[in-house]
Amino acid sequence: MDFSFTKKEEKFRTELRTWLEANLPEGWLEGKRDLPEDLDEYSRVLRAWQRKLYEGGWAAIAWPKEYGGRNASLMEEIIYHQEMVRVKAPPLINYIGIHMVGPTLIDIGTDEQKEKYLKKILTGEEIWCQGYSEPGAGSDLTGLKTRAVKDGDRWLINGQKVWTSFGHVADKCFLLTRTSTHPEKKHRGITVFMMDMHQPGVETLPIVQMDGHKDFNEVYMTDAVATDADIVGKVDSGWHVLIALMLHERTGIGAELFTLEKQFNDTVELAQQYKVNGKPLIENPLVRQKLANFYARVRGSLLNYYKNLTTTIKNGQPGAETSIDKLVVTELNQALSAFAVEIQGHQGVLFDKDAVADPKWQHLFLASFGQTIGGGTSEVQRNTIGERVLGLPKDMGR
Amino acid sequence: MDFSLTEEQEMFRGHIRKMLDKFGGTQLAREMIDNNPENLKKVYTTLAELGCSGINIPEEYDGMDLDALDLVPTFEEMGRSLVPGLFMETSALVVPILKKYGTEQQKQQYLSAIASGETWISFAALEPFNDFSPAGIQCTLVQHDGQYVLNGTKTLVPEAELADAFLVLVRTNQEDQEDGLSLVLIDKTEELNIEKQSSFDESTHVAKIEFNQLVIKEDQIIGEVDKGWTQLQEGLLYFNAALSSYIVGAMESVVNMATEYAKIREQFGQAIGRFQAIKHSIVNMKVNLEIARSLSHYANWVVDTDEFDREAAIYSARTYATEKFIEVSAHNIQIHGGIGFTEEIDCHLFVKRARYYDQYLGSTPFYQEKVVASLGW
Ligand SMILES: Cc1cc2nc3c(=O)[nH]c(=O)nc-3n(C[C@H](O)[C@H](O)[C@H](O)COP(=O)(O)OP(=O)(O)OC[C@H]3O[C@@H](n4cnc5c(N)ncnc54)[C@H](O)[C@@H]3O)c2cc1C
Repeated sequence: MDFSFTKKEEKFRTELRTWLEANLPEGWLEGKRDLPEDLDEYSRVLRAWQRKLYEGGWAAIAWPKEYGGRNASLMEEIIYHQEMVRVKAPPLINYIGIHMVGPTLIDIGTDEQKEKYLKKILTGEEIWCQGYSEPGAGSDLTGLKTRAVKDGDRWLINGQKVWTSFGHVADKCFLLTRTSTHPEKKHRGITVFMMDMHQPGVETLPIVQMDGHKDFNEVYMTDAVATDADIVGKVDSGWHVLIALMLHERTGIGAELFTLEKQFNDTVELAQQYKVNGKPLIENPLVRQKLANFYARVRGSLLNYYKNLTTTIKNGQPGAETSIDKLVVTELNQALSAFAVEIQGHQGVLFDKDAVADPKWQHLFLASFGQTIGGGTSEVQRNTIGERVLGLPKDMGR
Repeated sequence: MDFSLTEEQEMFRGHIRKMLDKFGGTQLAREMIDNNPENLKKVYTTLAELGCSGINIPEEYDGMDLDALDLVPTFEEMGRSLVPGLFMETSALVVPILKKYGTEQQKQQYLSAIASGETWISFAALEPFNDFSPAGIQCTLVQHDGQYVLNGTKTLVPEAELADAFLVLVRTNQEDQEDGLSLVLIDKTEELNIEKQSSFDESTHVAKIEFNQLVIKEDQIIGEVDKGWTQLQEGLLYFNAALSSYIVGAMESVVNMATEYAKIREQFGQAIGRFQAIKHSIVNMKVNLEIARSLSHYANWVVDTDEFDREAAIYSARTYATEKFIEVSAHNIQIHGGIGFTEEIDCHLFVKRARYYDQYLGSTPFYQEKVVASLGW
């Protein structure tokens, strides 16, 4: 048992902290953290932030040095997330490029592909999205119908994607398509393309979410074009590529857990400020019990994450147990943000500028419903845990 | 960072598991239902031979001078088999209190005997119609002509028949509520009036002890007079960390039982574990187990440090564990269907023990309040 950080790790933390202090947007540390409402403006500001990260050598710390990373250890990644959460750093607009597409290309991409894409991912010149889900293919991605057909020396892509996060700002899409016409096994015959989002046959339409934001999209493809050079891995073996890509999500849940911990502390503060009958809510025994319960769950989840991380460090790769982390953090986030709204009583329904406390609570509460769905629903996580951790028989139909 | 038990600790766990399996695991608890503690006594002797009873005792008193964390494999394994007895009360309550507050003479008298497995100590705190709070302690110890005299009744004293001595919480000062309690160690003698009580968890025995003008020597009082509540709080930190480990072990058994049954029991032409109503219920149990385990490992590490979250971590580990133990043991019965409701298989043993521990030395709300208070909120 050892919760300390090594000298080298502490040095890394100090270095990052110093850099952040000098480079965060003006006024950020003092609380001026509003991002532009206008989409183009928003994208411009966050691309600029990505560029700055790149110039400081902080864009993709886990990547190998030769590709512009720092070859960071898992612990350094953890520290990186901790520090970013601490300063409430601007969101990473190229999250998918940095954490998923880049590492996958480094792993299995051709030399030309690495040459062509990696640097642009780092600098924010090319933002990526993931095109997996379709109206008829959600939890079961093998139901996808988007088709890529060879036409001379190019591929023509037709179909529709949905729920595509970052689609409205993206330049490139990591696209799942069906290429084989008579697949005996549904997960065979799928091919991954790196598709240009700015070509004529691609249309992106924003979807309004229940929290009023428009963070994801429908993407329509009508004879969109790609070439052999845009294929990741081999034709018809997209499923393996997808699995390789998922293995690269080494520490991402950590960032969410650190954020959750911070939000828990903010909830406590809210309960201290908010008065009922003239008395701070935190003096109410029922509120205290709930806070104690949340404390245990939040701490327990974070510690459990550390436990799984330790196993990952020892084994060299994450095990199926990490599904527990995703399940727990998203459901806990939903319960906690609901509680933060609940303790505001009648006034909890007030939104945006009219919210009595920080309006983030109402937003977090609404946004939390996306978390238990995106990236694999809670039900699908439970199947994974049941089957891969506990060895229970497979879900029917698979 | 390394958040895991060491290889040695895991290896030690293996020895204990093997030994307990040899004695039939939960069979030990079942024998207690039949009032037959013979195998349990043998298990306790073997645990002492393996060194378990001396793990956290200083070397000068024949112990190994290790930390609370080193006791975790032992407690988890005992929990797995629901081993009854006084191991926890002795090693995780009495020993830490004696180490910190006992006089040299008290340490000499008890610590070596505990390390060798000769002495097991029970804890007598609760009183009829009272709770586990300072105001609930009315047994009085009064000084009289250079002597101390004890009067009052204690209930729910665990495993009195297996005890060689009792740690008793008594009132020594009527004026001050908290600073008016003391801890005394009383050896079991003929004079003590002990009566077995019946509890629905028959695998752990409880008793009533009546003290009627019992004369106590001054050197039986631990540390300073009137400081018993403070001493006890320190002991309870260790005890609750240990209890959370024991419960983690018990929860692990429950999750294993449910998982294995769901793999073999078939209905509608397939294993019931294929049905998500069952599968997801077991996954929820597993998730609760892993969170409880992480909290409890941390609690047992932090208890030997002076980290700022020492108390909060331990009390939250305890409340989380007891709360979830109740939940998982209930789900386990449901998953087993009709057979789960019988005496024949183990499901009921766990349900009863879960309820027993939830209400042992404080309840969930009692410790939740401690979590919040210890964080200064
Ligand atoms: C915020 C957010 C961001 C997203 N970003 C992206 C993105 O960038 N790219 C992308 O491609 N997709 C993205 N998605 C899509 C996401 O991956 C899917 O929504 C998700 O996989 C579920 O698919 P579905 O919506 O079609 O629901 P369905 O699969 O139709 O599920 C409906 C319900 O049935 C349940 N269900 C389905 N199968 C099973 C089963 N086997 N056992 C038990 N229950 C089951 C589900 O749990 C759910 O409760 C995003 C979604 C959200 C909410």
